[in-house]
Amino acid sequence: MVRGKDIAAILAIVCGVSLIGNWIAVNIDPIKALPGMLILGLISLLGWWLSAILPWKLPSIVYISLIGILFTTPWTPGSEWILSHTNNANFLALCTPILAYAGISIAKDLDQFAKMSWKIAIVAMFVLSGTFIGSCIIAHVMLKITGKI
Amino acid sequence: MASNKDTADKPRFLDPKLHLVVLGIVVISELIRQRRFTIGPGVVLLLPMLYALVLGVLTTPRFLKITNEEQVKTSSPLITISVMLLVAKLGTVVGPSLKQIASAGLPLVLQEFGMLFCPLLAMPVAVALGLGREAVGATYSICREGAIAITGQVYGLDSPEGRGTLGTYIFGTLFGAIYMGLFAGLIASLGWFHPWAVGMACGVGSASMMSASAGAVAAALPEASADVLAFAAASNLLTNVDSVWSDLFLALPLANFTYRFWCKVFGKKAYPPSTPK
Repeated sequence: MVRGKDIAAILAIVCGVSLIGNWIAVNIDPIKALPGMLILGLISLLGWWLSAILPWKLPSIVYISLIGILFTTPWTPGSEWILSHTNNANFLALCTPILAYAGISIAKDLDQFAKMSWKIAIVAMFVLSGTFIGSCIIAHVMLKITGKI
Repeated sequence: MASNKDTADKPRFLDPKLHLVVLGIVVISELIRQRRFTIGPGVVLLLPMLYALVLGVLTTPRFLKITNEEQVKTSSPLITISVMLLVAKLGTVVGPSLKQIASAGLPLVLQEFGMLFCPLLAMPVAVALGLGREAVGATYSICREGAIAITGQVYGLDSPEGRGTLGTYIFGTLFGAIYMGLFAGLIASLGWFHPWAVGMACGVGSASMMSASAGAVAAALPEASADVLAFAAASNLLTNVDSVWSDLFLALPLANFTYRFWCKVFGKKAYPPSTPK
């Protein structure tokens, strides 16, 4: 299992990589984006720690997402300060390193990916259409029930 | 080399070469930048993260041999950890918008449950096509970044479920905007649903899917275009808020249930869930 010290070190490395990606992607220099990235790192660490010590077994992202939301609601004191920094860390720039690790990791499964090929495209189309139609139906029915249309 | 012996059974998470390779991939991917191609009525969007995925694959022993087998294995838990930063960022995007969401009204909130139609509608297709546990990963959600985080933590991304989620994710990233644009425009022109309802449905996916589908619907229903765009944006905001929670606690259990159900119907073997390494 990965220990807390490792998590902190890995988060620090990924923060560093993201800072450089962020610099190229949205032209915000690493010094300026550092506080925001540190805040995101600390939220992650706090969430991981909660998932490790709390008795019920939930993925750490549940806590991390909750802490991220609680820190930045309009009713949270100091949320504007936090946001002024985290806004410097671009969402898409944070995705790039993750997909780089994912690419390295999934290369060994390429044959299995090849096996899915066109099938996954069909399934994905059903997934997209299913969500869209589902939302349409529920929204339409609810708008009728609440008398808005 | 004594240090190698000490770490033989423990992955070398801090291996500097691995992280330098990733840094190199990130720099190259961001330098290439976003590219969009117009094909017919829609747009194909290429994002740096997609190049990063491809470049990552290319560094492995099978291709350019820049990374070795051990680094390939080490990368898997690193995804789970790097995803934490992204989820933290998502949280900080959601927090400030809570006030608007609270005032959005019941229909807007409830239509979010439309995402439960994914495992209902797409699962029989996935199982019939012969997908195994990939079917669960591919159909429990519309598979944006939050779903990668969930699949990564619950099953591991290098599992069948992970392949399914990545499959839908990659399709959605590449063709999501163009497909949703076409599909939403078609549904809007059929006139089965009120334009407001169609507008809300446009917000179910990523921001680029929302823009493409709302644009197509607004073009199909010009008299309602302002409302359509407003409802689409509000619904997209709401999707960001609830998707981590509803995917994990509602859609994923439902997908596991429908997977077992359809395996039985089609007489296929239902495999047990994977566990992350």
